[in-house]
Amino acid sequence: MRRETALELAGPAALVVAAALLGALVSRSTEGYFTDALVKVAIVVALYVFIGNSGVLSFGHISFVAIGAWTAGVLSVPASEKPAIMPNLAGFLRDRAVGNLSSLALAALAGGVCALVVALPLMRLSGLAAGIATFAVLEITHNLLRYYEKVGPGLNTFSSVPETTGLRQAALGALAVVAAAFAYGRSRFGRLLRATREDPAAARAVGVSVYRQRLIAFALSGALAGLAGGLYVHLLPISTEGVYLDLTFITLAMLVIGGTTSLWGAVVGALAVSALDSTLAEAENGLTVFGATLDLPAGTRVVVVGALMALVLILRPSGLTGGREFRLPRVSADAA
Amino acid sequence: MTEGALVVEDLDVRYGGVHAVRGVSFSVERGEIVGLIGANGAGKSSTLHAVMGLVSSAAGEVRAAGASLRRRRPEDVARAGIALVPEGRRVFAELTVDENLRLGLAARRSRGGSPGLLEHVYELFPVVREFRRRPAGALSGGQQQQLAIARALVAEPDVLLLDEPSLGLAPRVVDLVFDALAAIREQGLAVLLVEQRAQRTVALADRSHVLANGELRLTLGPEDAADTETMVAAYFS
Amino acid sequence: MTLAVLNIEWQTLADATALGAVYALMAVGIGLVFGVLRLVNFAYGQLVMAGAYALALASQWEWPVWAGIVLCFAVVLALSLLMDRLVFRPLRGQSPAVMLVATFAVAFLLQSIALLAFGPLGKIATSLASLNRPVTVGGVDIRKITIVAIVVAALCLLALVLLLERTTVGLHMRAASMDFATARLLGVRANRVIGAAVLVSGALAAVVAIMLTVQNPLVTPDFALRDTIVVLAGVVVGGLNRPIPATLGGFAIGFASGILGGALPTEKSQYLPSFLFAAVILVLLVRPGGLFTRYRGAVERV
Repeated sequence: MRRETALELAGPAALVVAAALLGALVSRSTEGYFTDALVKVAIVVALYVFIGNSGVLSFGHISFVAIGAWTAGVLSVPASEKPAIMPNLAGFLRDRAVGNLSSLALAALAGGVCALVVALPLMRLSGLAAGIATFAVLEITHNLLRYYEKVGPGLNTFSSVPETTGLRQAALGALAVVAAAFAYGRSRFGRLLRATREDPAAARAVGVSVYRQRLIAFALSGALAGLAGGLYVHLLPISTEGVYLDLTFITLAMLVIGGTTSLWGAVVGALAVSALDSTLAEAENGLTVFGATLDLPAGTRVVVVGALMALVLILRPSGLTGGREFRLPRVSADAA
Repeated sequence: MTEGALVVEDLDVRYGGVHAVRGVSFSVERGEIVGLIGANGAGKSSTLHAVMGLVSSAAGEVRAAGASLRRRRPEDVARAGIALVPEGRRVFAELTVDENLRLGLAARRSRGGSPGLLEHVYELFPVVREFRRRPAGALSGGQQQQLAIARALVAEPDVLLLDEPSLGLAPRVVDLVFDALAAIREQGLAVLLVEQRAQRTVALADRSHVLANGELRLTLGPEDAADTETMVAAYFS
Repeated sequence: MTLAVLNIEWQTLADATALGAVYALMAVGIGLVFGVLRLVNFAYGQLVMAGAYALALASQWEWPVWAGIVLCFAVVLALSLLMDRLVFRPLRGQSPAVMLVATFAVAFLLQSIALLAFGPLGKIATSLASLNRPVTVGGVDIRKITIVAIVVAALCLLALVLLLERTTVGLHMRAASMDFATARLLGVRANRVIGAAVLVSGALAAVVAIMLTVQNPLVTPDFALRDTIVVLAGVVVGGLNRPIPATLGGFAIGFASGILGGALPTEKSQYLPSFLFAAVILVLLVRPGGLFTRYRGAVERV
């Protein structure tokens, strides 16, 4: 692998590892923020795989996070506890329970399969139509998971799911997603899809099937989102509202602020916004910094993140990283 | 020397990497028709677009009656007395002919009615009166072209720009349009006519500039209309 | 059929019509701005929310009803103009997808500002509560607000039609929504037309806020969020590109929601959103111009 190419993976991976190490050094209570940030990295990178490479907006990817979370969650709750929290569960789900890794693998599978099914009709759409259609997918998923108690806890929060996502699992999961995104991006499929993003007419003219490339990317990103959902459900008790509009907003914001069109942008965005969000969350609870006390009213964080996202979209749509991959600054031979 | 109704100086237009217009200069006086001819892609339409303020990356100078038009928005250029009849006519198909004309009034500078104006327009293009209440989309191509010119005239402009008005029209309608342009010249307007029908344009216009590759190569007078060799040479130089 | 059953049916019918009427107004508000800006304003519901909060505050400060209404209009119109200046204008010329994300961000921003300012518990707008009381019409009990909503909506739509068809600014707006570039060449002022569309759209949002607070006096930061999403679905299904199909779409979705919500037992009506959004996807795939249009083209026209 050429040096530049290796850096494109090394940069984001190193950042993830650094975040994990930092998280290991802080107190237990603060560690939670880092774990959450790493799971967000997984989600945002999954988003990047499709949105960044295709240039097509998808509002619906959190559906696959939700499906992954539900799959992993329902399957890994011990069989003895299932009737208590999910009394209406379908037969074959009720009697079984799987281990941690299996639940994650199945979550990815479920996410990928559902994404593929959704993509088959939807990948013909572009632009505004794609945005609205994928938003409809989000709504349908939310509606079904909320009320269909044969597949999950419905209105209730997922509890009794083994909390296996600590710092290590989150970091490993994030690295796995980053690696997959990198591999896809460097592959022939990734390059072809990016060609359709830059100049759809030219790409078609040389025989690239826009539909097929988008289909592949959507399915892959759905699988990765499903995996992230699996990580998420093992982190804290979630409900349908937790994988709905708020999560859609924050992960899209992370991608946009970091830089939609690069892996580096996705990772930077996820970690930077998480850092900001966590700091503000602490400030809302009363934070002492450099001797001064910061006590922000509740809800400030969403305002700040929202304003930041709007500002980035208006002033610098390419995001913090300018949509470019990680590079080391060059020292030119003739620098005077 | 008094300033022409429209003066273009060293106009330069770039679209991304394409240098569409290179240092073009000419002027149009009141009561004259100036033709702009040339092959496809020679830069004729780009010149018109630059005058109307549709191109943000134009360099050079464009003046109307002494006042600079550079950096003005299209609606402000229109309100300064420059009317464009766009390529492909661009009538509002779902609005009636009457409503299309009323839209043309948006750029009018004089307040109050000008009853003679509408009558005059109807005289030039009787079909416009006849189809007043029909949706503009129901008109034929030739009729729509007449509507487009009528719509531009309703604004009482000082300068009339036309982008390939004869495109896709039957010969009889082309005659009608060109006769109307002659009448408009009589009225004292300054007319800049971009056309692919070189011969008719050269015959009608007081002056015709030949554009090739964004540059102004040659200026022809009506007397050159019959000289095919010069025309061909100019086009392919 | 007993009279009691008939009673319920009439009530449901009337309520559904009223809901359809209110949704039709929202659809027009969204459709007007889309027509001139090619921008789907995800944050439209926040305008309604702002108006509702204005009414709640007026109610809290014990202002007379008319003052509350004036405040509602003032707040919503000001916010609309602000949105245009700060968000719509810089985004002009961007792709519709970028605009969608941007207004999505603005929607969240406004919602969270409201959360910050007023807290999650919500405020109550009681000024027009008297309209919630029933009146007997032909032996059937109908709430006053139902009649008021239908009448007000009809009047608004009539006024709008007159504005668009009979006035110069209305003509300019219609032309701008068909072919903005050519309209500008004819001297139509872009900023004025957009400003007019934004103001009318805002005025409609204020009216909707007034109507909705009668039935739902509790104003929370996500006030009208679900309604906006449903109306958006209806507009897309009806036909985003043209005002009449968009309005019909809004009305249809409101009416259908009202009828189905009232007629179906709770267990079955839970999945209504799924059917609704499945319909949206179907329309986008098969007939992207909308169900009520003759236009068969794509949602965006380049």
